[in-house]
Amino acid sequence: MLTRSLKIGIVCPYSWDTPGGVQNHIRDLAEFLISAGHDVSVLAPAIDETLLPDYVTSAGKPISIPYNGAVARVLFGPVAFSRVRTWISEGDFDLLHLHEPAIPSISLLACWAGDGPMVGTFHAAAKRQKIIFAIGPILEPAIEKLSARIAVSEAARLTLTDHLDTDAVVIPNGIYAEKFKQGKPNIKWQGNTLGFIGRFEEPRKGLKVLMEALPVITRFAPDVRVLVAGPGDPQEILKEIDPQLRHRFEFLGRISEQEKADFMSSISLYVAPNTGGESFGIIVAEALAGGACVVASDIPAFDDLLGQGEFGALFGNEDSTHLAKVVIDLLRDVEKRKHLSIAGKARAKKFDWNVVAEQIFSIYEMAMVGSEKVKLATDTRSWNRFLSKDDKQ
Amino acid sequence: MKTFLLITILVLIALWYLSFTATRLDRLHIRVENSWANLDVLLQKRAAVALEIARSDIADPASSLLLTGAAYQARDANIQQRSNAESGLSGALGLLLEDAQHLSTAADNVLLTELSELTDKIRIGIAIHTDAVTRTQMVRRKAVIRIFRLAGTAPLPITYEFESDVL
Repeated sequence: MLTRSLKIGIVCPYSWDTPGGVQNHIRDLAEFLISAGHDVSVLAPAIDETLLPDYVTSAGKPISIPYNGAVARVLFGPVAFSRVRTWISEGDFDLLHLHEPAIPSISLLACWAGDGPMVGTFHAAAKRQKIIFAIGPILEPAIEKLSARIAVSEAARLTLTDHLDTDAVVIPNGIYAEKFKQGKPNIKWQGNTLGFIGRFEEPRKGLKVLMEALPVITRFAPDVRVLVAGPGDPQEILKEIDPQLRHRFEFLGRISEQEKADFMSSISLYVAPNTGGESFGIIVAEALAGGACVVASDIPAFDDLLGQGEFGALFGNEDSTHLAKVVIDLLRDVEKRKHLSIAGKARAKKFDWNVVAEQIFSIYEMAMVGSEKVKLATDTRSWNRFLSKDDKQ
Repeated sequence: MKTFLLITILVLIALWYLSFTATRLDRLHIRVENSWANLDVLLQKRAAVALEIARSDIADPASSLLLTGAAYQARDANIQQRSNAESGLSGALGLLLEDAQHLSTAADNVLLTELSELTDKIRIGIAIHTDAVTRTQMVRRKAVIRIFRLAGTAPLPITYEFESDVL
């Protein structure tokens, strides 16, 4: 690692105060870099500017747009652009790290405005979308300014090569693996329990697939319980469940990080039935680190994360019959569960922040070779060059 | 009058676009230079580590000779022969590492770890450089750039042919 302390600017495209994978990733990365002695400033949209940690600068209030099967709270426009420019020129950064620079957001604006060492991280994994091809010519000149690109998973990398015809280095999202290793089994979550964590109201999180599989599962494992943690209103969901099965669901609401670690070490199986829109699957990595045996849908992100089934069981996406079969098999086979959980724990080490941050940092080093600090871009640079060349002669 | 105004605006837009494209290309050329500088440093470091390995106990006299030769060749090669020479060095290192893994001592292990870390970085360095080069080549194929000679005298960057599978 470099010995001198760097001034790093990170741009978060999504609203800082709404929960989300990208925001969590940026928070952890920023805090990790700060603890390693670097000077970090994060620029992010924020709904409530008073609640921000001191390393975050607000870029203004976000607006909501539909994106990739969910609502994204992002920010753009002339006012935001001038704020981005001010932040860059006042920041005097050695390097800019832009997250998700290919969607309309302050990350893209920063990519337009900045010049110098810039690294971009692409999080999204999506199917081919025509819209991106339409706006490609506008995006390209901006995206190609990035000195290095990172994709958080193989799926995200493929999305990038498909849409923008450029390659990226795969560096996974980071987790605090150590924290999850220290989870203590909690008796009330033990037994034949299936765990699920996430915003269960969102269809793409796939709780419905698990609900549909449950009648079959209860036939073979009568004492099975489903523990659902995460923000949302359980009443809406409960209405859709067969009244006879309702008592098998327990909604725990939002749980703390410590509880999450305990949760992962208590449950029999962690089920991730996500139907798509998932790029990396941080929660699955955390489940592995916590020593849970994982059952996940075979979407590309999970298939990759679980090593095609080596570190956790997979089932056909949206196929509740297949899910039921996999769950029943594992509930009956303690040995296999143990085997997968040990393999999974070893796998999770690769995603620990110590490893991941080191990799990200070595990309920073490469991006900074030969360049000066980050400046505001001018689109007249070639003229200046041309003119100064004339002066010399 | 109206047509005159329209023509002026069109000409201005065209001029802005040309200047914008030239800047874009200029930036790409700088990116290629920087990514190459980065890769070059990493490769030089690897040659140095290879020489150290050749001098250590990891290598038997014959492979030591082979390695030293390859390392010097990689160091002294000019840009055209560079990728060939580096591939040669990769091959020599690969041969050695195949059977050195089990008999090395702790001191040698430091060298081997350093080498494997470097190899990881080189792999990324190559990816970054290749991306910069292909992007530049793509932009330079554009008609505007060829017609108005926006690339000036800058040479067309060439892809660094590195057989990444031997790394």
